[in-house]
Amino acid sequence: MEKFSYIRAGSVNEAVHLLNEPGLKNRVLAGSTDILLILRHDPHYCDRLVDVSLLPELHAIEEQNERVFIGAAASFSEVIESPLIASTAAVLTQACRSVGAVQIRNMGTLGGNVINAAACADSLPALICLDAAAHILTPQGDMILPVSDLVVKPNRTILPQGGLLVSISYPIPPKGSRSAFLKLGRRNAMAISRLTVAALGRQNPQGRIIEARFVTGSATPRIERLAAVEAILLDQNPAAELFAAAAQKTVEEMIRLSGYRWSSEFKIPALTAMTERVLGQVFKMGEAV
Amino acid sequence: MKINFTLNGQWTEVEAPADTPLLTLLRDFLGLTGTKMGCGIGECGACSVLLDGRLVNSCLVLAAQADGRSVVTIEGVCQPDGSPSDLQQAFIQYGAVQCGFCTPGMVLAGEALLANNPQPSRYEIREAIAGNLCRCTGYQQIVDAIEVTAKNRQEGKSHA
Repeated sequence: MEKFSYIRAGSVNEAVHLLNEPGLKNRVLAGSTDILLILRHDPHYCDRLVDVSLLPELHAIEEQNERVFIGAAASFSEVIESPLIASTAAVLTQACRSVGAVQIRNMGTLGGNVINAAACADSLPALICLDAAAHILTPQGDMILPVSDLVVKPNRTILPQGGLLVSISYPIPPKGSRSAFLKLGRRNAMAISRLTVAALGRQNPQGRIIEARFVTGSATPRIERLAAVEAILLDQNPAAELFAAAAQKTVEEMIRLSGYRWSSEFKIPALTAMTERVLGQVFKMGEAV
Repeated sequence: MKINFTLNGQWTEVEAPADTPLLTLLRDFLGLTGTKMGCGIGECGACSVLLDGRLVNSCLVLAAQADGRSVVTIEGVCQPDGSPSDLQQAFIQYGAVQCGFCTPGMVLAGEALLANNPQPSRYEIREAIAGNLCRCTGYQQIVDAIEVTAKNRQEGKSHA
């Protein structure tokens, strides 16, 4: 007896129609790497999988009106291999490269990573650093939400019932922007993130920081830009002391938002070092940009 | 449900329940036991196969997802006369096979790498096999075997 059935959607609209067919508990199948594990533990998780992974429109990676749109079923490998993403959002390329091993990167999708919304999802800090938006199709029509609003806490999004994440887009950062992502795991491959940091910024010709975006992953319940840290960096010239002050504030924010936990003793020095390092990769000292 | 796909170059039709993992289809429905069941959760890489040319964990893919697509297993990696490929021969020569359980996945990971990157560095080889666990060799011999195969293919020697 089959625990669940399988159907392959022929289009995005058909997928939404299938997801909303009454009398069946439907779930989207994209990369399959997470949902098959869930189904193994909980065979009643759904009655039917609606496979959207082969829809060409969900794999497109293209520029439109100063934004880069990434089809929700684009695999991590497809994101990594995209020259458009590499040249506009190194932070996302680096984040996707840090996911699992090649087998997982070939199957796992960017959209799945967002909707699964694991606390340790590698792409989320990068996408939130990029001010990315989620484009969702529901039976009632289209909706657009900032990714930081869509993902409200670990494993929880406000994706409407029966809705399908179609693409993720981000505004192309202004010329001269730099971005970077760092991950700390227990080993290089296949490690679940213990901590991640994502940063994006820009300096004026005199070297002063005129834009700073900073996000941590696996550190706070909700992944969001840390405005208090960004405020320390803004309008300053990059310096080791500045990065240290930003790292100090990052740690304070982590403890303010997550509380002091059993892991804090480990996370405080690690997050301090990672913050200083990632800022050093984005903001160059004594360099006219 | 009926699943039609190209398996090691042969058009194949097989009937299987919708919830069958590709790994189960290969081993239990089609008798291709070269693909190994290790952890079952996508961490060990023993079940690695190529799906449309990309390395995947067949334990984390449904057989239904392979419908209409191409799958290559370790049984499809050999010379036309059935003898070992140059990469497989290098695994033997460099002592990269001990218990052998990880070997099919390692060979496919090596083939997937060399198809995209014919001149990988040792670091890139390590990265390419990072999703394949080996508890015997310590990996050095496996890296050696992939590296020497890349060199030989570049020099036009013994390409399978």
